[in-house]
Amino acid sequence: MSEYKEFLTEKEQIDDLIRSGYRIQSVIENLDGAFVNFTHKDQGHCKSLHIGTANARKYFSSILMQQNNG
Amino acid sequence: MADLSINLAGIKSPNPFWLASAPPTNSGYQVQRAFDAGWGGAVWKTLGDPILNVSSRFAAVSFNGQRVAGFNNIELITDRPLEVNLKEIYETKKRFPNHAIIASLMVEPKQEKWHEIVKRVEDVGVDGLELNFGCPHGMAERGMGSASGQVPSLVEKQTYWVKEAARTPVIVKLTPNITDITVTAEAAVNGGADAISMINTINSLMGVDLDTWNTIPHVAGKGAHGGYCGPAVKPIALNMVAECARNPRISVPISGIGGISNWQDAVEFILMGATGVQICTAAMHHGFRIIEDMIEGLDHYLEQKGVSSLTEIIGKSVPRYSDWGNLDLNYNIAAQINTDVCINCNKCHIACEDTSHQCIDMLTGEDGRSYLKVREEDCVGCNLCAIVCPVDGAITMVETAASQPPMTWNDRQAALNTAK
Repeated sequence: MSEYKEFLTEKEQIDDLIRSGYRIQSVIENLDGAFVNFTHKDQGHCKSLHIGTANARKYFSSILMQQNNG
Repeated sequence: MADLSINLAGIKSPNPFWLASAPPTNSGYQVQRAFDAGWGGAVWKTLGDPILNVSSRFAAVSFNGQRVAGFNNIELITDRPLEVNLKEIYETKKRFPNHAIIASLMVEPKQEKWHEIVKRVEDVGVDGLELNFGCPHGMAERGMGSASGQVPSLVEKQTYWVKEAARTPVIVKLTPNITDITVTAEAAVNGGADAISMINTINSLMGVDLDTWNTIPHVAGKGAHGGYCGPAVKPIALNMVAECARNPRISVPISGIGGISNWQDAVEFILMGATGVQICTAAMHHGFRIIEDMIEGLDHYLEQKGVSSLTEIIGKSVPRYSDWGNLDLNYNIAAQINTDVCINCNKCHIACEDTSHQCIDMLTGEDGRSYLKVREEDCVGCNLCAIVCPVDGAITMVETAASQPPMTWNDRQAALNTAK
């Protein structure tokens, strides 16, 4: 799979959670990429994504910034 | 005509082009010849205790047909008695009162030595002094030049000693043979420098002769490192000028030196914070009359830009130079290939496929002709294809719409710190 397709897949996973009412709660970055933990705004459910591509790591960071500013 | 005159820490010259302290400014004959040609100033070849030189002093790198892409020398400071130089400085200044003559100085790091030479040199009417803390070869083995210039405390102390005696502006010339030039620049400012100049030459060995196994150059079968300059060092020099120009603790004017070969190079240094420039290798390569094109080109450039005085553009690009952490991670460019111009040499494809991000496809059209196409979504905007392309206009790097607002690395890390 091209890196761009990998990015689209990871972006879609992030967008799905955001659309479903989740917010980024915490991020752990290590040699394997980023582990992004989401919490549902109302129900408090937690979900986690392992994000590997550089563009998707930029993408969730932009969402986090918007989340912090909003 | 635009006003090309400059005033660097009180040193005035009719244009920003000075000859750097080096073989072209060895004598009154040469400096007067340069002023006749149109140079605005000259930094006299470094004065100090007259030295002894070796024979076989220069070497140059030719690269893909370009002669003197880089230049190296193992010549030391002046080998003529101080009195001879001073007489010629006096005569030259008398003949060219409106041109800048700056005396480059190098003595042992002793207060009385600096006081003595400063007084003697200023007595003949120089417009300023430049302290040579940069020459990397020969004199450095004796504790002078870059050996002094690599130790911030010595830079500060010697500048202070000079300022105790000097009545004219003092420029401190810095060595690039150091990890962070802003440290020694700050030391010079702390010592009272009125201006700084950079860069002096870079430690270098130009080559080894494959037949004789001698170094290039060699002196009777032995070599020693020299000082590297010329077009190849320009990016290094430009960065050092820019780093000093954007440092708020370095609050003095800068004289830019390093690979400046034409008016365009000079403008780049001035935009990046230099008040004026010094040139050596280009003059050694092509002669003093290159100044004619430099003045004409600079004047036309300013006219095109609607700028009436050169001083208006000093430092205009400095705010655009920052740390990597302040660059926008969401800014994107991508390569576009103009197939009307492309000659299908495939250099871009090979470069991208072998050494970058594998996003240039070799395709065949319906007419059977092969063509190259960038998969924009996979292009990271590295510029490599445009760099290796031999045809002007065949590859253009085009800004693509950002899908997210600007976000720097520093912004990102600050945001992540809130999510732990």
